[in-house]
Amino acid sequence: MRRNITDIIPSYFLTLLLLMALDIACTTFFPLVGLTNFRLPFNILIVLYMGFKLEHPTLAILILLTQYAHSFFTLEGWAMGTVAGIIVWMIVSYLRDLLHFSSSFVTGFVTQIFQMIWFLIVAVLIYIKSGDVSYLIGKLWRFIPESLIISFIAPFFFSILDKIWSLGRGGSLGDEV
Amino acid sequence: MRILEDENYRWKVAINVVVLGFSLFCVSRERPPFDETSAFERFMIDSLAPVQTGVSSMKRGAGSFFDDYVANLNASQKNRDLTKEIANLQSELFRFTEVAKENARLKELLQFGQEIKRKRVLAQIVAWDASSNFKSLRINKGASDGILLQSTVVTSEGLVGYVYRLTEHFADIVTILDANTRIDGIVERTRSHGIIEGMSKQRCSMKYVTRTEPVELNDLVLTSGLGNVFPKGIRVGYVAQIERESYGISQNIEIVPSVNFSRLEEVIVLVSPGNSKKIKEWEALDNPTTGGGK
Repeated sequence: MRRNITDIIPSYFLTLLLLMALDIACTTFFPLVGLTNFRLPFNILIVLYMGFKLEHPTLAILILLTQYAHSFFTLEGWAMGTVAGIIVWMIVSYLRDLLHFSSSFVTGFVTQIFQMIWFLIVAVLIYIKSGDVSYLIGKLWRFIPESLIISFIAPFFFSILDKIWSLGRGGSLGDEV
Repeated sequence: MRILEDENYRWKVAINVVVLGFSLFCVSRERPPFDETSAFERFMIDSLAPVQTGVSSMKRGAGSFFDDYVANLNASQKNRDLTKEIANLQSELFRFTEVAKENARLKELLQFGQEIKRKRVLAQIVAWDASSNFKSLRINKGASDGILLQSTVVTSEGLVGYVYRLTEHFADIVTILDANTRIDGIVERTRSHGIIEGMSKQRCSMKYVTRTEPVELNDLVLTSGLGNVFPKGIRVGYVAQIERESYGISQNIEIVPSVNFSRLEEVIVLVSPGNSKKIKEWEALDNPTTGGGK
């Protein structure tokens, strides 16, 4: 069991570095090879991983910091992603006993479900702010392929993050044992 | 009641409520291209953007090697075609120079409009937005090169966007494809006004054009100069689709930008000396009660 914030900081710092490296790759390689309309939202994948596996009171702050780091690379800002991330984490907290990452398929499937919830939350917030449905439809068309790729790579990505956070498959950081 | 018994749970709920409330407050307050950049953000962007520059130039180097040596099979034929094209363009350029001179003379004669003198800064694109929902890009020139916030960004093909975030050595540009962009535009042939908005799918929409305006496909759309951000007469794009219903007061127009954003590598930033004054004007418009808020 690791409950101290000092135990979490080194792993979290490495996770942030990984996110920044992936964001740099996304913002440079993707457009240069002609993929101007699609990006992989690795920030969502990292926040979902922390939501699934890290049960710590300060997780909301870590989600905020992750989104803030991501905002250096996008016009998106950090606030909307933080709201979505925290709500997703709250849902995960209630369903924690039901969630088991026993196989790659289950990991991908669960990731896809929670990406859809994330999309719904963000879509509602955008709709409240702008009232523009056509923008949301365009966003949905981009979300479908992007989220499927993210779900597909989630098992591999989670295994890397498991190593960074020194967790076993299906383990949960901060649980009472 | 778990909240009364478990101290950790109490902390968790308290932190969640505070962070969630703060985030929601910021969601309601934020206006993406107009938010102020903090000193920490500027420092982080200045630290991370050189890595993006490095990755971009590595890829460009590999790409130019491929283009120059591997894929250059029809070079001599292309050379002949291009020489012919240059000759044609030179004769056309001569004609345009004459037209420009005539235009300048007539303008002076009629005292119509004023020549906007703007400093030009050539910049290279080093990165695009990390989210597919937003169409911004990062260039390798910043405040130290004389760029100011809200400077207009163009290429020889037309309008790209404007600077919304600025650090010492880098600048972020919100393009005309982004849904947060609003430009006052004018159809060149009919002089019809409308507001151009990004659609995030390589197209823009032109709103609020009166239904009776006889806009046609392939009509050229220019900036009108209203709105105090873009100079007048910059090419925005061509009309690609018109939806004119039998009811309502306006028609829906879609515009294909004249700039090919998928092949964009270099841009020109037009810096107006009056930009700082312009920001104060905007602040005054935003906070009329406080007279600018500062």
